Amino acid sequence: MDPFEMQDNSKNSNKPKYSKFTQQELPACKPLLTPAIVISAFLLVGIIFIPVGLASLSASQEIVELIDRYDTTCVPMADKVGYIQDSKTDKSCIRTLTVPKHMKSPIQIYYQIGDFYQNHRRYVKSRSDKQLRYKNAAHFTKDCEPEGYTADGVPIVPCGLIAWSLFNDTYTISVNKKAIGVNKKDIAWQSDKNKKFGSDVYPRNFQNGNLIGGAKLNESIPLSEQEDLIVWMRTAALPTFRKLYGRIETDIMANDQLTVVIQNNYNTYSFGGSKALVLSTTSWIGGKNNFIGVAYLIVGGLCLFLALVFVVLYMFKPRNLGDLSFLSWNRNTLDCPN
Amino acid sequence: MASERPLLVATTPGACNPDDAPSPHPPAASLLPPAQQEPPLRADPLAFSVEVPDPFRPSRRGDGPVDDPSASSQREREVGDNESRAVVVGEPSPEFAGNAIRTAKYSVLTFLPRNLFEQFRRLSYVYFLAITVLNQLPQVAVFGRGASVLPLAFVLFVTAVKDAYEDFRRHRSDRQENNRLASVLAPGTAGDFQPKRWKHIRVGDVVRVASNETLPADMVLLATSDPTGVAHVQTVNLDGETNLKTRYAKQETQVRFSQNGGVSGILHCERPNRNIYGFQANLDIDGKRVSLGPSNIVLRGCELKNTTWAIGVVVYAGKETKVMLNSSGAPSKRSRLETQLNRETVILSIMLIGMCTTASVLNGLWLLNHRGELEFTQFFREKDYTTGKNYNYYGVGMQIFITFLMAVIVYQVIIPISLYISMELVRLGQAYFMGADKDLYDESSRSKFQCRALNINEDLGQIRYVFSDKTGTLTENKMVFQCASIHGVDYSSGEDTGGYSVVVGDNLWTPKMAVKTDPQLVKVLRDSGKNEEAKLVLEFFLALAACNTIVPLVLETRDCNQKLIDYQGESPDEQALAYAAASYGIVLVERTSGYIVIDVLGDRQRFDILGLHEFDSDRKRMSVIVGCPDRTIKLYVKGADSSIFGITNKSSELDIVRATEAHLHKYSSLGLRTLVVGMRELSQSEFEEWQLAYENANTAVLGRGNLLRSVAANIECNIRILGATGIEDKLQDGVPEAIESLRQANIKVWILTGDKQETAISIGYSCKLLTNDMTQIVINNNSKESCQRSLVEALATTKKLTGLASEASRVTIALIVDGNSLVYILETELQEELFKLATECSVVLCCRVAPLQKAGIVALIKNRTDDMTLAIGDGANDVSMIQMADVGVGISGQEGRQAVMASDFSMGQFRFLVPLLLVHGHWNYQRMSYMILYNFYKNATFVLVLFWYVLYTAFTLTTAITEWSSLLYTVLYTSLPTIVVGILDKDLSKATLLAYPKLYGSGQRDEKYNVSLFVLNILEALWQSLVVFYLPYFAYRRSTIDMSSLGDLWALAPVVVVNMLLAMDIFRWNWIIHAFVWGTIAATTICLFVIDSIWILPGYGAIFHIMGTGLFWLLLLIIVVTAMVPHFVIKAFTEHFMPSDIQIAREMEKFKNVNQVNRSEIPMRGFS
Repeated sequence: MDPFEMQDNSKNSNKPKYSKFTQQELPACKPLLTPAIVISAFLLVGIIFIPVGLASLSASQEIVELIDRYDTTCVPMADKVGYIQDSKTDKSCIRTLTVPKHMKSPIQIYYQIGDFYQNHRRYVKSRSDKQLRYKNAAHFTKDCEPEGYTADGVPIVPCGLIAWSLFNDTYTISVNKKAIGVNKKDIAWQSDKNKKFGSDVYPRNFQNGNLIGGAKLNESIPLSEQEDLIVWMRTAALPTFRKLYGRIETDIMANDQLTVVIQNNYNTYSFGGSKALVLSTTSWIGGKNNFIGVAYLIVGGLCLFLALVFVVLYMFKPRNLGDLSFLSWNRNTLDCPN
Repeated sequence: MASERPLLVATTPGACNPDDAPSPHPPAASLLPPAQQEPPLRADPLAFSVEVPDPFRPSRRGDGPVDDPSASSQREREVGDNESRAVVVGEPSPEFAGNAIRTAKYSVLTFLPRNLFEQFRRLSYVYFLAITVLNQLPQVAVFGRGASVLPLAFVLFVTAVKDAYEDFRRHRSDRQENNRLASVLAPGTAGDFQPKRWKHIRVGDVVRVASNETLPADMVLLATSDPTGVAHVQTVNLDGETNLKTRYAKQETQVRFSQNGGVSGILHCERPNRNIYGFQANLDIDGKRVSLGPSNIVLRGCELKNTTWAIGVVVYAGKETKVMLNSSGAPSKRSRLETQLNRETVILSIMLIGMCTTASVLNGLWLLNHRGELEFTQFFREKDYTTGKNYNYYGVGMQIFITFLMAVIVYQVIIPISLYISMELVRLGQAYFMGADKDLYDESSRSKFQCRALNINEDLGQIRYVFSDKTGTLTENKMVFQCASIHGVDYSSGEDTGGYSVVVGDNLWTPKMAVKTDPQLVKVLRDSGKNEEAKLVLEFFLALAACNTIVPLVLETRDCNQKLIDYQGESPDEQALAYAAASYGIVLVERTSGYIVIDVLGDRQRFDILGLHEFDSDRKRMSVIVGCPDRTIKLYVKGADSSIFGITNKSSELDIVRATEAHLHKYSSLGLRTLVVGMRELSQSEFEEWQLAYENANTAVLGRGNLLRSVAANIECNIRILGATGIEDKLQDGVPEAIESLRQANIKVWILTGDKQETAISIGYSCKLLTNDMTQIVINNNSKESCQRSLVEALATTKKLTGLASEASRVTIALIVDGNSLVYILETELQEELFKLATECSVVLCCRVAPLQKAGIVALIKNRTDDMTLAIGDGANDVSMIQMADVGVGISGQEGRQAVMASDFSMGQFRFLVPLLLVHGHWNYQRMSYMILYNFYKNATFVLVLFWYVLYTAFTLTTAITEWSSLLYTVLYTSLPTIVVGILDKDLSKATLLAYPKLYGSGQRDEKYNVSLFVLNILEALWQSLVVFYLPYFAYRRSTIDMSSLGDLWALAPVVVVNMLLAMDIFRWNWIIHAFVWGTIAATTICLFVIDSIWILPGYGAIFHIMGTGLFWLLLLIIVVTAMVPHFVIKAFTEHFMPSDIQIAREMEKFKNVNQVNRSEIPMRGFS
């Protein structure tokens, strides 16, 4: 049965009531891709995109970025894994860099790890957000296995692979032999510090197992203040990623000598991952990346080109819009005049 | 009115009132049947024999043989003991079903299990359920438990809410119905009727119904207020026919009630069955066995009319009543798009399997490459060091398998779950707008367009063949008497004379409908006294007035001296003839069970109806035996020409027969329906002989129908031809224009009619299906060999003609096939020939076809081509054809509702077919096609974005997009705009579509949904997913971007992109579409905000963080633009340089006034 049949309140007359809605005649605009619209759309995109692309490109170009990959050079032995796993050796490693251009403060210090799948399914899930926030939720370690409980059966706080694998290389930086401070405050998101990590939750039984995954945590500092952990636990989207290590809040001049003492503790060798230290100035565009500017220029240029192509096409083969002689049945009769 | 006393005393002295005790004396008594004879048989043609198929049905005179298989199987079947039920009159019996009805499907308790069961009968739901179950396995779980159930739960929930609401309405109406009150005889009393709720009535209860009340159950009439036991009922609720039907109480029981005694007896009747037109029972009363037929039963849902009261015994109650047994829905058909959609679903499944295999194999390779490293890899941690065993790692082979299963769960969306529910909602909306369209509303019959089948709306846009019934479909089935040939003289110049009235006391009674009269005939009738010619003319009109089953009803008018006579009858032809006789002054004034009163030119006379031989399709005639005022007994007969000419008096004037035949030919070539009228005077001995045979036949228990037929055959002979009538069956409004529009739209219209060849051809001309420049090929043979010969010849002819057509002016061919020939063609190897021939012809007319042949012709086309067929009809004989065709349309017209009940769509007029197909069909098809393709595209885009990411997660099926977003994507982020667009968007306006019927071709050619469009859409999805994924990928490579933030961009970007693509393809932007498209993007953003405000999720705060960076907005902008460029280029290019017809029409609509363009070339037609 017609489901709407009953909706008529007057049974005598089931005549449909007239309204623009029921007759599907609501006022409507009918956009059509006329040549003018097509060409102006392409032109508009071109005119907007090219300046934006140039601006992005110049913003990216202005960023001074120093990248120093140190994972191979900082290991003197062939057996890299053995070296890194040996807790007795001194793993400090000194790197000297020359600053090519003036770097304005704040200068961000990142560590960049390659081929580390922070987005691996086994890894991403291995955390307990409840435990991170609430003091009494230490036993919520279901998702953290095999890093949920210690061998004695006590819950680990913070549990899970992500926390366990916390990055533990450290950098001490001096400019022209003069040590400069690295500000490690406020490197994590404020929202994470406020809401996600409890200010009354302290690390417990952390990194006590047979296999040390990474950094240890100071058990007297609440999780909300453990900014390295908070940064680390924002798992990276892609396998090669940077994480904020700290900031230098003084300018560094061009040709200054940077000396970095790296405590090379973190094991990326067992899976062939890379490690690099990155120093970078900031801008509205984020890090140094020409891609977005180039992409804008390409798309903008392509649209200008398409505008041109369509102008030529329209001139070459014009058609009156709404010309009935182009209807298929009229065309057929034109083809066969009989 | 039937209970009214006769207004004039009958002129025959001694003619009896039916109330009088039967008088044994001749001659008057000899005119009356003996008392034992059942009174109904005297007057009720319907009760005449139970074997007659469909006594309710108007006998479709001239509309060919009507075969009702259910009725014929009923033939000769008497009530056997093993299949009967015994009802004790007056004793409610608890062993049969009670009278409470339940149309509701569910109760509160059974709703959940039953509704779920119903829903899971769809295979696709089982697929989604399997995936949900798979996700519950801990090793495979991709989504959280709650989240994974969500989409399926949502779909099930929406459907369940819809079902529950419908069921609630049914519950409410059931409750109302069950609590109505009826007067029921308290058991053991006589005449003590107590009010009782309907639901408490039981089989065996004796119920009293007053005028205008509805009958609570199927009851056998015991007595009525009319002394002869007549009751009139209106069966509009049952079969939609508004005329009154006459039903009878048996004299035996009637008498008992009139003496105010209770009736006790045992009634044996058949088991409950669906046949509303059949009923067989015996009543044992006072040691006598009385047989009961369909005229003795009144059915639930009917209303008692013109009868003060009626008493009956309930034989079937509640769900066993015939109306309930017949209330089944229309058969379910699947639309063509839905069938085609399965093909695409298979392609997508292959894609799905391919993606899953790729992901799992790559995962296996990665594991192999990194074998040995995994133990110390921080992000993998193969081992649990507390136990030293592998943790959640089962070896490469097993990991591949698990990854495959997980991939199936992640990528399942590529087969769109929401598509099925979207399609249903869209069809619901389309059905609403079709029903609300004022152009599909029929003012005259007040019938609205109804979508009875909700799943084939879009098929209306792809029809190539229309099979139409003639009577009642192309024509109004309102018969108007046009001309007569009496005694070889043709009277066909009608003049409007304002009608004729009868003076009754102070009152003036006027027949409701005036017929044009021929002045010459009036003159013959009035002036020329008693000559032979005038006598014959008078007999002719008496035959018209008497030889029928019309019940005259006298209606009050505002003027109290004026009354209207309304002829109620089941056959429109009979009504037309009775009105015609009335206009010439022979007015049927009253009918009671035993006699009729006819006002013969002002002189009121009583004619006793002594016997009546009902029309049946074998004899193709009916006859009455009338006792005239001058004590002669006459047999009047009317019927089809072939039938009457076979039984004429051999010695009758040959020239008159010839002249009549010539006139008949003339009438039928004018498109009139013809009937021949004859009479015969019976001698006393003949009458007595007949009477004896008639009584015997009537009281026979076995084979009553055959006996009655042979009685009729014996008496219907030696007929003197009085003349012939021509009745016009008027074409409905706008039929020629509608047919012309359909033809322009490249839809082939075939007419399948039961009419004679000449009538069919003339109707073909009058509705412009046939034109003079057509070559007609007629196939009318009586043997298989000759059929074959003419088919071969015809094929050769068409080859020759169409061969010429390509060069010279086009020759169109019309094929006319006769039902006799079809007998030898259908279901034999000749079918193929007929098919070839018929598809060459532009017009096909089939005449004298039986209902099953109609279906056979539809099947001929349906089974051999991919073309969509539509059958339209109004009568029971069209049901098989309506069910056979891809789309069945029922005309809710004069002939009951069987066709409507079997149809997928029903409407009031044939011409509505044009807006239905050309406008709504076109829209529905266009909208649904677009919606399906769009759903495939949008889900593919999203799944591909997910897939690209997997390549950067060591192939572990992590999704950067939160699980909530990936589940909401199909349900909330993208589904609403497509539903709204699927309901509301119009590519072209109604006026344009009607003005250019050829635009309909886009649906016929599958232009909007085909494999190449599907491939194009998937390629588009591929491109857009690459853009959506890789622009951010390259922009954020080696940056601090975290998974949640990038996931939010990857969730928002495809939503914006697919909605922008939809926006680009929308034809008409009204405020509702604006609201939904932009509202959805806003809602998605809000959802992302909400999800990222939940601290327990890893993505807490991410969206706010990333939206605070300029790069995010730059990326969003470039993603949308870059993703759209190919679509925009293709669209701009094809629309301008390869424009479709629809595109040109759109441009014309926008830039020019439709009404002024090319008016001469393709004339505008109004359909409102």
